[in-house]
Amino acid sequence: MLTFGSPAFLLAGALAALVPLALHLIRRRPPSRAPLPTARFLSPDPRTSVRVGRPTDLLLLALRMLLLVLAAAAFARPVWRPAARGSATVVLLDRGAAMAGGDAWPHAVAAARQRLLALRGDALGSLVLFDSAATVIPPSRVTPALFDSLAAARPTAGSSRFAAALRAIPAAVGGLREADSLRVALVTRPRWHGWSDGLGPLRHAVWPGAIELVELPDLDAGDGEIVAENVKAKEAIYFADALDRLSYAKPALEATGWRVRLAIPSADAVLDSARLMVVRRAVPAGVAAALTRAATAGATVVVTAPAAASLRGFIPWAGAMRVDSGGGGMWLASGPHVSGTAMRVSGDAARGAAVIASWDDGRPAAAARRLGRGCVVFAATDLDRGEMTLDAEYPRLLDGLAHGCEPSDGPSSIDRDTPLDAGARAVLRGTGPRVVAARTVPGWGGGVPLGRWAMAAALLAALAETFFAYGRRRAV
Amino acid sequence: MTVRSDFLPPGLLEHLGGLELVARTVVRGFQAGIHRSPLRGAGEDFAKHRDYQQGDDVRYLDWKLYARTDRLYVREFEERSNLQAYLVVDASASMDYAGAGGVSKLRYASYLAAALAHLMIGAGDAVGLAAFGAEPRLLLAPKARKGHLHDLMLNLERLRPGGTAGAADLLDRLGTSMRRGGRVILVSDLLEDDGGEALVAAAGRLSARGDEVIALRVLTPEESGDAAPDAGLFFDPEHPRREVPATPRGDAGYAPRVAAYYASLADRLRERAVEYVPVSTAEPVEQALVAWINRRRG
Repeated sequence: MLTFGSPAFLLAGALAALVPLALHLIRRRPPSRAPLPTARFLSPDPRTSVRVGRPTDLLLLALRMLLLVLAAAAFARPVWRPAARGSATVVLLDRGAAMAGGDAWPHAVAAARQRLLALRGDALGSLVLFDSAATVIPPSRVTPALFDSLAAARPTAGSSRFAAALRAIPAAVGGLREADSLRVALVTRPRWHGWSDGLGPLRHAVWPGAIELVELPDLDAGDGEIVAENVKAKEAIYFADALDRLSYAKPALEATGWRVRLAIPSADAVLDSARLMVVRRAVPAGVAAALTRAATAGATVVVTAPAAASLRGFIPWAGAMRVDSGGGGMWLASGPHVSGTAMRVSGDAARGAAVIASWDDGRPAAAARRLGRGCVVFAATDLDRGEMTLDAEYPRLLDGLAHGCEPSDGPSSIDRDTPLDAGARAVLRGTGPRVVAARTVPGWGGGVPLGRWAMAAALLAALAETFFAYGRRRAV
Repeated sequence: MTVRSDFLPPGLLEHLGGLELVARTVVRGFQAGIHRSPLRGAGEDFAKHRDYQQGDDVRYLDWKLYARTDRLYVREFEERSNLQAYLVVDASASMDYAGAGGVSKLRYASYLAAALAHLMIGAGDAVGLAAFGAEPRLLLAPKARKGHLHDLMLNLERLRPGGTAGAADLLDRLGTSMRRGGRVILVSDLLEDDGGEALVAAAGRLSARGDEVIALRVLTPEESGDAAPDAGLFFDPEHPRREVPATPRGDAGYAPRVAAYYASLADRLRERAVEYVPVSTAEPVEQALVAWINRRRG
């Protein structure tokens, strides 16, 4: 099918082509003058005193009209598109570790198959398999056998990155030249671990319409406990000096989504249900064991500098732990920076621990180490003192420390194993029509542009016109 | 008439080269086509001696007789030819017309004249050349020498069409300069402004004094109406300002009017014992000559 980017030029070209036609029809000129010695025997024919130049100029007329039409066609940006087969679909199929639970993966493959295979087994679009990277499978390879092999395989161990899937959309739609409209479906179990900074603008850039979010049935009963645990994990315990003492950390943590309960350090106060425990003051004997148990069970224990001495063997910190006043600025590896810390403890991360924050001078300011299913974090300063508590980044710093054993990217305020919230899903879905005209999609490679060929043909017609006009003039 | 394979179309003759070669080629085809030659030959016989007079060609002095008699005598011969002929070629502007893709009438007339000169000189006749167009001109006096043929060809080659002069004046001049009983062959399209009255009268005067007058009328198919041209603004080359918008091909009266003109002219010429021979430029020259000669033989 031939389509035009600027069809108005066609109309202009058609009107322009009428000009030489009109000139040929309208222009009257004297008939060609020819000698004939027997002219005296001719009877004058007044009809031939003027002549309409049609018969001998037909080729020139045709060439001139062709030249104008071709030039106009070149400006009209013609594109040849193969016969459109209607709508095509790009399915972004998550094959990351998140799909391993329960029947998620077979359901996901079935959902993709339903959208990409017609009844007769013909491909209806492209498949994008993604985890931390994406692989585009063109329509020619989208076959029933492919889905059989996918169903038989297992998801990978990689984390699912929506950004990788979204970046693959232009490449996937680029191969769908026969479609006149396109749609995109994302088959996944949407978790925060797939999210990354800048996903919203990326989502808007790669696809102008809405993405169908095919959410799989959530985890089975066993996974449900984890979810419940994760939900509980939003609870935090802040072990303070006194319950009535003003705490800056508590509201700051609450601002990032935690439900914080203040408590005086004791073994009984350490609850397995809490996902986060922040220890601000020295703890009595026995608490360390309770904290170790809680961390092993999956909780994150953040120990601040004042409590370091009482939890020396527990925290991931080594060295003299000499207290200096004036800590200065503190950088968290995931990005937040706060200034005005009240003090800092010398030392370095213990063996096996990762430095997750640094001072302005580059020395380590916090370290984290996995313990069982949980995590122990040591911050070499008092997190509830100093001007840092007034810093805008203070809540994010605390939240970052609370996720000290997790990768630094992604939203730090939300547990990365939890499902995307409604807002994030709305960002992924986007707005606009679910079925989008193919030509409006960035990167769509549909059609063969014919403009330069039309211009070349116009030049050839011009050359031919010049040649024939010259030959005719010589003949006359 | 079926065209013999020996005959060469005029367009092909044009590529042969010089007129002499054309004449030889035409005559070969002509001699193969005729049944017998109608042209008589004559020997070169001694007639008598006479006294030498100032101005006589010293080549004809009889030196042996001078030795015996001590007087100068020149030898006189009988005429080499028993016929004095003039080829009169029309070189007026109208003879420049060639029609579509053919040779011009003047060129065709030159072929005819060259072939006839070749034949007649070969038969011992004295052949002269005259032309009219811009003005009537006696180009070559009649001679029967072989070398004269070359001069004839040269003069025919040099003919350029132009002018509107008629044949009548030239024919009258020939009547005064030529011996009686000669032959005048007029090669022309015979398109005269006065309808041919003066021409017929002049030819009649020549015929009346005993000359054989032959009028070879040369015409193209476009002129005769056999291949009339399409619509256009036509003019007579001899009167270029008289333009006629017409469609000869669609003009049903055109060919009959041309035919009537020439029929009238032919009748008047025959009344004066002038032989009228119509020739078309579409016809091979040899074929035209053969047809004419055989027709003469009856």
